[in-house]
Amino acid sequence: MNFDWATLALQLVNILILLAILKHFLFRPVAAIIARRQTETDAALKAAETARTEAEAATRKAEAEEQATATARARVLAEAQTEAEAARQALIDAARTEAAKIVAAGEAARQADDARASAQALERARDLAGTIAARALAAQPHDLAGYVERLAKALDALPEAERAALLEGDTLRLTTPVLPPEAERDSLIAPLARFGIAPLWAEDATLIAGLDLTSSSGAVRNSLAHDLDLIARALGHERN
Amino acid sequence: MIDNPMVLTSAFSLGPLTVSWPVVTTWGVMAVLGVGSWLATRRLSLRPSRAQAVLELVVSTLDSEISATIPGDPARFRTLIGTLLLFILCANWSSLIPGVEPPTAHLETDAALALIVFVAGVGWGIRAQGLGGWLAAFARPNWVMIPLNLVEQVTRHFSLMIRLFGNVMSGVFVVGVVLGLAGLLVPIPLMALDMLTGAIQAYIFATLALVFIGSAVDAE
Repeated sequence: MNFDWATLALQLVNILILLAILKHFLFRPVAAIIARRQTETDAALKAAETARTEAEAATRKAEAEEQATATARARVLAEAQTEAEAARQALIDAARTEAAKIVAAGEAARQADDARASAQALERARDLAGTIAARALAAQPHDLAGYVERLAKALDALPEAERAALLEGDTLRLTTPVLPPEAERDSLIAPLARFGIAPLWAEDATLIAGLDLTSSSGAVRNSLAHDLDLIARALGHERN
Repeated sequence: MIDNPMVLTSAFSLGPLTVSWPVVTTWGVMAVLGVGSWLATRRLSLRPSRAQAVLELVVSTLDSEISATIPGDPARFRTLIGTLLLFILCANWSSLIPGVEPPTAHLETDAALALIVFVAGVGWGIRAQGLGGWLAAFARPNWVMIPLNLVEQVTRHFSLMIRLFGNVMSGVFVVGVVLGLAGLLVPIPLMALDMLTGAIQAYIFATLALVFIGSAVDAE
């Protein structure tokens, strides 16, 4: 066995050259690509972390906006409800005011109608009273002697049987609003002498004017009050 | 038939320089590794192919082994340790090619490898600790240990050389003897065993080189 120093030297050079070759063509490129991938991975992770952070921030912002929107919605709803309530109350108040006005106007119209009706009724009553009074007064004699004349005509106009029953009835009485003096009574009833009666005298202010002949069998009404009553009844029948 | 591995045969001569067969085989290994590396790394991308993934796995594993032994950036020692590992592995497995003797079966190649490890350890030790610190490391734990540490500094690299040489040479020798005595296919199991031995020896050499350099860098 011998040791070849030349081979040792050549092998030293060869291995050193191989070191350079593998460093340049193998280890450096592979380590570089590993480092580059690591860098890219770190950058991607950083970008992902950034994106995640931004997404979380966006999520929080969206949640805040959603909360704000919900709050604003609730506030708007409350305001709208309040406004609607106020508008409803205003409408109710306006309606009540309008109804009160209508009721007041109706009441005023009714009162006006009532007043007008009352005035018309009063006018009619006045007209009626005037008519009654005119008719009644037109048919009235001027004094008690005239009423005696009209009583005599009335008795003449009665059927014989009725007249006889009247005149022959008990308590035959002449009623007048104001009794004439006794001294004038016989002369006053002289036109009634042909009927052969001797009546009693009575006073009744409700007759107003006139002279009624009454007995237990009937009566001859010959007074202003009776005429007024007849005219009023007649006018009532006319109006109906 | 394998020649006597203890005898160095000349391939050719360039004037006064005689080029032996281990040197020529080493050139072949260098060519294979160089061209293979160039082919494998010419189209590296961020989305690795299967071959690129294997390369990255080798480099990553190498870095993790270095980091586990020596603290700090593994890139400082990646080229040396990786080159030693790949070269010794390819050199050991070159015996699978008929008629080729592995260069590591010759003492000159192993001596060159051990010498490079020795120089690298000295250089990185001085760079890391300074010349004074590196020299002071020989006096640890006390000055009495200086001779022993000096002897150890030589012997451990010598043992590194002899271990690789002995294992590879013996494998080649055994295969050659069996091939001479038995049939053509009989040495195949021994060749498979030789592959395993070659891989283990490459790993052991690279690991021990890393440990030696690591001890020189961090003498504490």
